[in-house]
Amino acid sequence: MAKPESLGPVTEFVRSGAREADLPELQMRQLELLIEEIFVNISRYSYPENAPGSVTVRYAVPRSGELSIEVEDQGIEFDPLAAPAPDLALDLEQRPIGGLGILLLKTFAGSLSYRREEGWNRLKFGISANS
Amino acid sequence: MTIERTQVDGKVVLHVAGRMDADNAILFEQQCESCIAEGVSNLIINLADLKYVSSMGLRSFVMIGQKLREKGGDFRICCVTGLVRQVFEITRLNRVLPLHDSLESALVGG
Repeated sequence: MAKPESLGPVTEFVRSGAREADLPELQMRQLELLIEEIFVNISRYSYPENAPGSVTVRYAVPRSGELSIEVEDQGIEFDPLAAPAPDLALDLEQRPIGGLGILLLKTFAGSLSYRREEGWNRLKFGISANS
Repeated sequence: MTIERTQVDGKVVLHVAGRMDADNAILFEQQCESCIAEGVSNLIINLADLKYVSSMGLRSFVMIGQKLREKGGDFRICCVTGLVRQVFEITRLNRVLPLHDSLESALVGG
């Protein structure tokens, strides 16, 4: 379920994928960050606050050094690729408090793609040892 | 995440170690807030042993940094490496919250 307390088990699940793919430590941490950004977004914004829905996370290891991840939820339609980029030229005083998670997602996730299909948000990305 | 508070040359240093994420960023904020409440305006943050920070942690840095500036002070962040440095650079927070290479340099300020 897309509840904050599920982040730990979900992270552990993708870490096992990262170990299977033999990802180095830095890419392992980037992967944890990607999963946290995606999961927190879904649990906070995708479903109504009092009615958390489900999130499905799958991984595959196409070859050693590469991990591919797919995250699916049935919440409101949200395409992170279409989200506006934050203004990074602003000084600290003018910076909004949040809004940096999607930038990190777009930066660290290789071949990030989004599809809305029959009520599902499907987000797919890869992470590789030499990214 | 662990936060250890020390006093060096009369200045408050918070040594933040481990992982700062959606679950615990609030603890860092609270620790900083209590320093501000005591009248600390220049807060030195040693991140030598911080291995992970997500956007939830960055929110805390932006929010507390703004509060310190309101008081005429600033964050002085030092010893940032690995993923944490990447994250500060990608979001260009390193331009608005200058990163010091050593604790000594952060203590001197500037």
